Amino acid sequence: MFTFILRRLAAGVVVLAAISFLTYFLLYFSSANIARNILGEYASQEQVHAKEIALGLDQPLLTRFFSWAGHAITGDFGTSWFTSQSVVSAISERLPVTLTLVVVAILCIAVVATLLGMAAAVKRGWIDKVVQTGAVIGDAIPGFVLAIVLVTIFAIQMKIFPATSNIAPDAGASAWVASLTLPVIALVINGVTSAAQQIRSAVIKQLEKDYVRTLRSRGISEREILFKHVLRSAAPAGLTVLSLQFVGMLGGVVIIEQIFALPGMGALAVLSTTQGDIPLVMGVVLYTVVIVIIVNLLVDLINGWLNPKVRVS
Amino acid sequence: MKFGPKYAAMAAIAAATIALTACGGGGAAGGAAGGPATTLTIGSLADLKSFDPTDAHIGHMMPIYQTAYDTLIRRAPDGTLTPMLATKWSYNADNTVLTLDLRTDVTFSDGTKFDATVAKANLDHFKEAQGTDAYQAASMKSVAVVSPSQIAITLNAPDPAFTYYLTQAEGLVASGKEIGSAGIKTAPDGSGPYVLDTKNSVQGSQYVFTKRAGYWDPSLQKFNTITFKVLTDLTARTNALVSGQIDATLLDPKTGKQADGAGMVLNKYQTDWQGILLYDRDGKINPELANVKVRQAINYAFDRKTILAQQYLGQGTVTDQVFGPESGAYVPALDSTYNYDPAKAKELLKEAGYPNGFTMTIPTMAGFDTINAVFKQQLSDVGIKVNLETVPIANYVADMAAGKYSAATFQLYQGQPWVAINQMIATTALYNPFKSTDPELAAMIKAVQNGGANSAELAKKVNEYVTDNAWFVPMFRLNQMFYTDKKIDVVPQLQQAVPSIYNYTPAK
Repeated sequence: MFTFILRRLAAGVVVLAAISFLTYFLLYFSSANIARNILGEYASQEQVHAKEIALGLDQPLLTRFFSWAGHAITGDFGTSWFTSQSVVSAISERLPVTLTLVVVAILCIAVVATLLGMAAAVKRGWIDKVVQTGAVIGDAIPGFVLAIVLVTIFAIQMKIFPATSNIAPDAGASAWVASLTLPVIALVINGVTSAAQQIRSAVIKQLEKDYVRTLRSRGISEREILFKHVLRSAAPAGLTVLSLQFVGMLGGVVIIEQIFALPGMGALAVLSTTQGDIPLVMGVVLYTVVIVIIVNLLVDLINGWLNPKVRVS
Repeated sequence: MKFGPKYAAMAAIAAATIALTACGGGGAAGGAAGGPATTLTIGSLADLKSFDPTDAHIGHMMPIYQTAYDTLIRRAPDGTLTPMLATKWSYNADNTVLTLDLRTDVTFSDGTKFDATVAKANLDHFKEAQGTDAYQAASMKSVAVVSPSQIAITLNAPDPAFTYYLTQAEGLVASGKEIGSAGIKTAPDGSGPYVLDTKNSVQGSQYVFTKRAGYWDPSLQKFNTITFKVLTDLTARTNALVSGQIDATLLDPKTGKQADGAGMVLNKYQTDWQGILLYDRDGKINPELANVKVRQAINYAFDRKTILAQQYLGQGTVTDQVFGPESGAYVPALDSTYNYDPAKAKELLKEAGYPNGFTMTIPTMAGFDTINAVFKQQLSDVGIKVNLETVPIANYVADMAAGKYSAATFQLYQGQPWVAINQMIATTALYNPFKSTDPELAAMIKAVQNGGANSAELAKKVNEYVTDNAWFVPMFRLNQMFYTDKKIDVVPQLQQAVPSIYNYTPAK
């Protein structure tokens, strides 16, 4: 188990290095006007040129990349070229918001999808039809449309929730709950249906298996069969979907953050990428990759714990 | 399997908790019910680059800087200059030396005092830092400390807009101790009416300011707290306004309808003109554009009124000149120079030697795609074929300035005549990439520069010249749709995208 984790972490480092280089490589080609954008429209050509030299934009790709990587390994991600804020502090201000949003959404999806999927698999009949139709609808409606509808109804007309985020450094937990409720609901509606579908199929398949019949003949209660045995066997399918959704959500949450003006990573990513703020983009990419690697590792470990058949020796 | 009462109870409790906490978190901002508002929350389109005054920029960001810093001179809503850190100022005979008398009772956040040495340090640093608005210091040669309460600024050449610049980025004054430091980028050290609450402020998200104790002009402190929420997304801004989270913000004609429906107050004013700039008057890329008849033909090709009605719901005024009505260089008669006359356009093209029209390539970017499609259609109706080349937003201005295109659609703010001339007419202007000029125009520009108090009047000649010679294709001056809720009154600021912070008052 220990060697398993180590091997996965080592693989993760390789992935990190590869993605860093690839990202840097892609950014390199859009570096043409960065200095001009930092200095503004009225800067003279000499000033722009001087700025390019100061930022190292005139150096070849590999030199720049290794210089950046050398600093990054020691934890120095530099400062934003546009706002001069340290990259680490900019990200650490915003990461908690995005992570809270995504983690809470995934947990809600997990719970709701499990209940819905199992209800559909066990009861069949009309619940099954509802879940299946809901899957198509929920998948089809874009997240931002849901978000706008939710804001219009619950924030503007009914005034139960704030229309844009109230999250601030000094804000208490109630501000966080109030600001994140509508975004979480939007994300859950979008994601729960496909997860429910997966769990439904997995549970149906499990219920057809022989061991279920054996357990029933031993007189074990239906509830125990479902939640203790069948769910554990059906879990891998659900966890796979959830981990995929988590990764997708880290990127897809950008639009939700825009609509709700949440001070999260999404807005930072969009702004820094369009401006060409290379230190900040690299910082955002790196943190995201690290989170994805950790989540994938955790999902594999949970899978292994739930289902010994899947464990790697 | 049934969902027992246990689950139902848990779900109900969870829902109730969320609803109760949400009620506490949501709802309107603002002061005590019944009394005048004591807080002001503004939705800002743009975020500050940093709190360093050398990063300041005209327009959307000015109110934020004005909250933290004072300027040497203050500009009233109608454009007149009023004393601020400078109590009086005057030029010498040939307008090359500006002497300013300074206040002696001003202290900065760090406790240091304001005097002539600090003023000089700020101006010198502004020039050498070469920040976004460094062009405002272009004509400044040197600053001399005459006495602890007087400085004399020597200019390279007369600059009719210099005193205006001292109300903008160039005039922002930071503490002498913190000028150019790294710390000032995140924690402003000024003498302005409010102080930044660093604990509650998040870069890129919101800035909270509280009233400065002992400020030298309490009449400028109308609120106890001012909060700027950075809401770059138009939908988020609209939602925040109609749900009561912010008191004031800039919307557009379409979202404005939602604000109207929610009972918000519209403060309409015009700051920008939108149209096409015909850069290539010397015919380097498109030889056809060197002929004034061709440029005039393009001006006749557009049905400005209909385009305004369809694209901007009529929110604006059609115009044929690039100078604004309050600039002093505005000539009412010029607005009937080019009416909608496609037949005349074709006639002019024929006279110029292009009976079958010609082709030109202009850039387009997100935000101008729709209007460019309309322009393309109208030009093709008179025989001019337009190829639209998509350019990333970040490159648009740079590509135009580099002379990559013979013409481009753009939106520029209408400043004072000398500012406008340096913006798009002078040979050094950013928006004159091919440096078009001729002796007649150069002489007119020189007259404006040396005109002193008469500059604006003399600029009318420049206006007539560029309009008759069709340097540009002005379409309309667009309305800024600035909405406020009923708790706040605001006065628009002349030639500024959003009102200055001094223009907000609690509603009676």
